[in-house]
Amino acid sequence: MATPTPEPVNLLSPGAGSALLPQPCVLVIFGGAGDLSWRKLLPAVYNLNIDGVLPSNFAVIGFGMGAVGDPDEWFRDRARDGIERFSRQPLDEKHWADYSRSLFYVEGSFSDLRAYEKLKAKLEAVDAQFGTPGARVYYLSIPPQLVQPAVEQLKSAGLVNDPGEKRAFTRVIVEKPIGRDLESAKQVNASVAHAFAESQTYRIDHYLGKETVQNLMVLRFANSIFEPLWNQKYIDHVQITVAEEEGLAQYDPITGETTASRVGYYEGVGALRDMVQNHMLQVLCLTAMEPPYSLSADVVRDGKVGVLRCLRPFSQSDLENSVVRAQYIDGEVQGHTVPNYRHEVIDFNSKHNLPIPPSITTETFVAMRVHIDNWRWAGVPFYLRTGKRLPKRASEIAIQFKAVPNILFNQNPDVPLEPTVLSIRVQPEEGLSLRLATKLPGPKVRIFPVKMEFNYSSLFGGESPEAYERLMLDVMAGDATLFMRRDAVEAAWEFVMPVLEHWEQSRSRFLPQYQAGTWGPLEADRLIEADHRTWRTL
Amino acid sequence: MSASTFSVPAAESVEVPLGSVERELGRRLKGAYGPGDAPVHRARMSNLIVYCTDDVRAAEVESLIPEIVKIHPARVLLLVADEHLKEADVKASILVRQAGHGTRLCSEQITLRAGGHAAKHLPFAVRGLLIGDLPTNVWWANSTPPPLAGPLLDDLAENAQQVIYDSLGWTDPHRGVSAASTWLKRFERSDADGRWRVASDLNWRRLKFWRRILSQEFAPAINPGALDSVTEITIEHGPHAVTLAWQLAGWFASRLGWRIQETKFKQGLEIAFQISAPHGSLRLVINRLPEGPSDIRHVRIACSIAGKPGALNFTSEDDAKLSVQPEGLDVAPRTVNIKPTSTADIVGKQLSDRDPDPVFRDAMVAAHVLAQAVLR
Repeated sequence: MATPTPEPVNLLSPGAGSALLPQPCVLVIFGGAGDLSWRKLLPAVYNLNIDGVLPSNFAVIGFGMGAVGDPDEWFRDRARDGIERFSRQPLDEKHWADYSRSLFYVEGSFSDLRAYEKLKAKLEAVDAQFGTPGARVYYLSIPPQLVQPAVEQLKSAGLVNDPGEKRAFTRVIVEKPIGRDLESAKQVNASVAHAFAESQTYRIDHYLGKETVQNLMVLRFANSIFEPLWNQKYIDHVQITVAEEEGLAQYDPITGETTASRVGYYEGVGALRDMVQNHMLQVLCLTAMEPPYSLSADVVRDGKVGVLRCLRPFSQSDLENSVVRAQYIDGEVQGHTVPNYRHEVIDFNSKHNLPIPPSITTETFVAMRVHIDNWRWAGVPFYLRTGKRLPKRASEIAIQFKAVPNILFNQNPDVPLEPTVLSIRVQPEEGLSLRLATKLPGPKVRIFPVKMEFNYSSLFGGESPEAYERLMLDVMAGDATLFMRRDAVEAAWEFVMPVLEHWEQSRSRFLPQYQAGTWGPLEADRLIEADHRTWRTL
Repeated sequence: MSASTFSVPAAESVEVPLGSVERELGRRLKGAYGPGDAPVHRARMSNLIVYCTDDVRAAEVESLIPEIVKIHPARVLLLVADEHLKEADVKASILVRQAGHGTRLCSEQITLRAGGHAAKHLPFAVRGLLIGDLPTNVWWANSTPPPLAGPLLDDLAENAQQVIYDSLGWTDPHRGVSAASTWLKRFERSDADGRWRVASDLNWRRLKFWRRILSQEFAPAINPGALDSVTEITIEHGPHAVTLAWQLAGWFASRLGWRIQETKFKQGLEIAFQISAPHGSLRLVINRLPEGPSDIRHVRIACSIAGKPGALNFTSEDDAKLSVQPEGLDVAPRTVNIKPTSTADIVGKQLSDRDPDPVFRDAMVAAHVLAQAVLR
């Protein structure tokens, strides 16, 4: 039996300035003309370039349709526009001249083999120009139905190298949503697996690139006070909230005209698929996982999958009583009147000559009670809540500790002490706070809750890098810790499928509503109040 | 006064009795907001003791402090031990600044001045002004290399976790580099009681980008065998940047297992070493340029890539760009962006970076061997 050749060691790399040493490569953005590329990816790469952390041999190729005139120039103009509007750091002409020279575009359809031949030729030319050693990162910023043709064509065109290839590596980034149910997620995963090994596949969830989310493990496992309390003995319940102020359409505040709309993506998808199945369950996993024995990618990801496997499946009764969906109706957000979701769908479809669906039952709000059936979390409910057109944009994980006994300071049943709450804010202001009871100054013993705050931007200054910046660097460095593994994606779908199926069966029946600008429907309040608890006001 | 803003009564230093520093700081902070306003928060992650030996240097350092505390909020204790001062006592003054990135945040600076023999009292005065439970850093902000600093530095660093110094501009860099390696061994500690202390040279941080780009370029996955084919390395540096060049050479030597065979020395201009490396022998040349920025300006590495002999030239084009130019090699020429870093920026970042750095220590040991060869 042949002994595998050991990987050559880079004698100079220890202490070279960063644990993450991104490798020279070409980043190919499928859907390079799209919204994500314009708003997030190209500005993220630009920021990495300004910060001097990109590999010295690096270039970007946009791939897709929509270029006007010279494709490279068109793509550069598009990148410049995105950077001017959305970049964390302002566009610097001195950097731009260099950066723009490394941007290229290949026009073509994802299902057309000739387009891949063009892409291959461009990649070879870029390799020669930039000294990139044939290494590729393919970022699939495309709808799920296009993933299969794209990866098949990549493979057919000979654009996917062996997973053992270290120098001319090939990696693929797959954007959410990965499928629209368990079946289609399996299909997407299988299609990707047909061309790429799991070690080459990076399923991105940008929430996992946020500082606070990464800080969750540090908070839990680098502070000795938390981990001993992090269990059913001391924690009463956990609330995970992702609240969005925006609806599916955005309006000019003066003219009232629609300026942007995500209805095309969202209608038929809904909050459960868009938020709960991926972001929220991933955050839940990090909150509830057992301490991993190392920080290597697969050990951490095993820990997260362990939580998903312990989620108690929804029974028929749970589906009725532990899950609430709703849709927003007319209301007011930040002093502006906003229309209902139905109106936004009808408006969008009319403008795009699409048929108006007979019933519009996509949920824009979900609340649920989830249980993790293991020793650590037995009997501790996790309440998940997400919605659009809520009063403000705020995401947090709140750990509410059990109340102290009803003796000493907690004797008055009419005015119980506020429980201790550790709140970890993911956005907009990343940070954490701890609510404690304290004595008000004075001769009487009067207890008052105070909040100890830690705010990332106040303490550390400046702006944290965008999640996409961190995650793209990780891919270039070959670190998959913050990416979802195939089994985790499928386990998460497995968990939410009964809810989707239940809603499918009862879709035309009762769909609760909530007024835009409120914290959701009454049914959500009833869900948590049934347990003698309340939603936190954010 | 609005609830979201505040103003510090006067952003200038006020002399206060040493024993009243904390009370006066509290009073100034309280005066920064009106009745009914939320209190102003002091942002501080560390204690930062800065030691200077004259007013000119103290003024330079003071101009950097706002930027440093923006990156790493800290209680700053600026110590000025000026032998020309007549005062026999330690004089204290305080300054509260609005932090740049938070509307209700401020940072605090305490300046202690001592003349003549009073300087030796500074470590005692400092002890009472440190905030407990926060890490303590000492920034040794003068041109005397720490190994030659004497007991004062030991006293200041008694409870510190990190001492930061800057070897840029050391007047006798060869001796400084040589002494630093032995001093590091003595000074850095990590004992079973959990007491630990590291020393960090800002010059090593300045080399971060160079180390990174060189390790990328010579990664076996990118240019297989290139490192094993190196026949000559030339490092060119600007005036006052000798120690940078020594550290870069020390880094190569420690990582690649070099041994010195022969040294040739042209005073103030060029030092050439004949080196024995595991793959064979090579020449290392360190050139001092007569003018230009105090930085590494150019590194030329003669090697073979894909079996073809040639060289790679890495040239600092300006403070934000570095070019990579091949000579006779099939490698694409290109420029790479570098994030310009000011002294305030690297001090601020170093304050948060307190991990022991064995690569630095090894590089200093190797630099010591190279320096000794020159001093002999």
